Amino acid sequence: MIEVKNLRKVFRIHQKPPGLLASVRSLFRREYVDKVAVAGADFSVGEGEIVGMIGANGAGKTTLVKMLSGIVHPTSGEARVLGYNPWDKHNDLRRQISLIMGQKAQLWWDLPGADCFELLREIYQIPRPEYESNLKRLTEMLQVEDELNTQIRRLSLGERMKMELIAALLHSPRVVYLDEPTIGLDITTQKAVRDFLLSYRQDHAPAMILTSHYMEDIERLCERIIIIREGELVYDGNLKRVIHEYAPYKQLTVHLNRAETAAVDKDYLERIGKVMEEKAGTIILRIPRDQVTSAAAEILRKFSVQDLSIADPEISEIIELIMGGNEKPQR
Amino acid sequence: MNPALFLHLMSIESRRLLSYRVDFWITMILTLIVQLVVIWALWTAIFAESGKDIVAGWDLQGILAYGVFVFLTGRVVRGGDLQMAVATEIYDGSLSRFLVYPCNYCFTKYAQQLGNIFPDIFQSVLMALLIIPFMESSTTVDLNLTGILMCLPSIFCAHLLFFMMGLLPQMVAFWADNVWSLSVMMRMVTMLIGGATFPLSLFPDSMQSVLYMLPFRYLFEFPTLVLLGKVGIEEWITGIVSCLIWCGFFLLLLIPVWRRGTLRYTGVGI
Repeated sequence: MIEVKNLRKVFRIHQKPPGLLASVRSLFRREYVDKVAVAGADFSVGEGEIVGMIGANGAGKTTLVKMLSGIVHPTSGEARVLGYNPWDKHNDLRRQISLIMGQKAQLWWDLPGADCFELLREIYQIPRPEYESNLKRLTEMLQVEDELNTQIRRLSLGERMKMELIAALLHSPRVVYLDEPTIGLDITTQKAVRDFLLSYRQDHAPAMILTSHYMEDIERLCERIIIIREGELVYDGNLKRVIHEYAPYKQLTVHLNRAETAAVDKDYLERIGKVMEEKAGTIILRIPRDQVTSAAAEILRKFSVQDLSIADPEISEIIELIMGGNEKPQR
Repeated sequence: MNPALFLHLMSIESRRLLSYRVDFWITMILTLIVQLVVIWALWTAIFAESGKDIVAGWDLQGILAYGVFVFLTGRVVRGGDLQMAVATEIYDGSLSRFLVYPCNYCFTKYAQQLGNIFPDIFQSVLMALLIIPFMESSTTVDLNLTGILMCLPSIFCAHLLFFMMGLLPQMVAFWADNVWSLSVMMRMVTMLIGGATFPLSLFPDSMQSVLYMLPFRYLFEFPTLVLLGKVGIEEWITGIVSCLIWCGFFLLLLIPVWRRGTLRYTGVGI
């Protein structure tokens, strides 16, 4: 449904040094720098797939989404969304896509939700029976039936985001771009939004691209992730597999018996693995995958152990490493 | 754009403005009082100073009527508060949502602009009904039903022309971040040489011949002269056709500017 080939966007940005003199000088002569927002992206997204796009602020996620929704023209490269070139702004394509921007209200501020949705019905030319059944289903799912006649500006952030979601999905789009849909929401509302998106995926099987800084969004919603670092796609694959590909270690947590606590030889532990934490009888070690079994056996032999567990590191930890450019792929 | 959507956008914009009840009445009363005082003080002084009964084809009552009606028709032509809407949406990235919707952005804005003028029409009619009984008769103007009927299409064309002319400086926002000063300057120039301050017949002859070749007079002076019975039927038809030709000219300018502008658009702020 979405095909991207070597998509690239370079912004030309005016540099304004601080100070009054520099401001005056910039009236006559300006300096620009080229900033590569997206440096040749290649990927595809299929029907019913939710792809999580992860990256630090300014990594190029939103620019990519803006290009795919036809808002921004790329510097070079190709993209096809449902067979259309998105920046041709073909109405047949625009009727089948949707963009939700968590940081930017898209509904009409002074109007109640009901009026906004009615207007969107006209914009997307949704047949009346379909519109009414969609609206009923979506408002019930998100539990905002009682807020339909309240002006958007008078709603809480969570209610407003729910209205934004309804507005974006009223026309049953086949491609949905979600740019930080849960930003600023409380935990309960975040969960409601995630559940809602999963349910929408089950019913309509759209292709979805989700950008979020919340790992819980990604872990709950996406099986596949794309990690962007400084405009470059550094990982595209299964969310779970990222651990095996990028984390060459496991985490060994040891709870020692009380009597053993005082007698721990730290140098000895450092020879087994990297000590991440050591306090009150609990030791957390980071150990290369191929040495975990022998390390565990050695610890059991050497110390009086109450409990021992071996786990993969947190996904968020790995992703942070990759985003920061500190990853070491396990090959 | 489908007509139902166009009407819906118009209706929503009107409802939005009418929901601000206090603002609606304060705007009407204050602007009316200020305008009446300025017009009366200015022209009474000018006529008293000149010592003439007729100046450039206008007597005092006639020019006062011009001042009042160019203000009232001008409010409808300018239409509410959308003057900077396009530039603002380009600047803060709100344009993005319209680029995703399957409808033409400029038509959307025009529908909103039309919806925007209903409160102005309502206010202008109310103000006219309040003022007309107090106006003294003039030998140089003739306010009658024919003039009113001829004035309606003139105002509609002027409104369309004003909208299209206003879009151009706003679209400069694709290239320059802030076009507020450009828009204000354009607005002042438009008001002055469009006859919103005084009739173009008061300009020197050499300037008049240039001003009559430009599109600005169709915005304010032309509909007001039509309303005051100072335009014959033949001149009226020529005026309407000329105004529509100017609309076509600006449309031809707008299309490439929009295309090139959206190529540069970065959707900042999202």
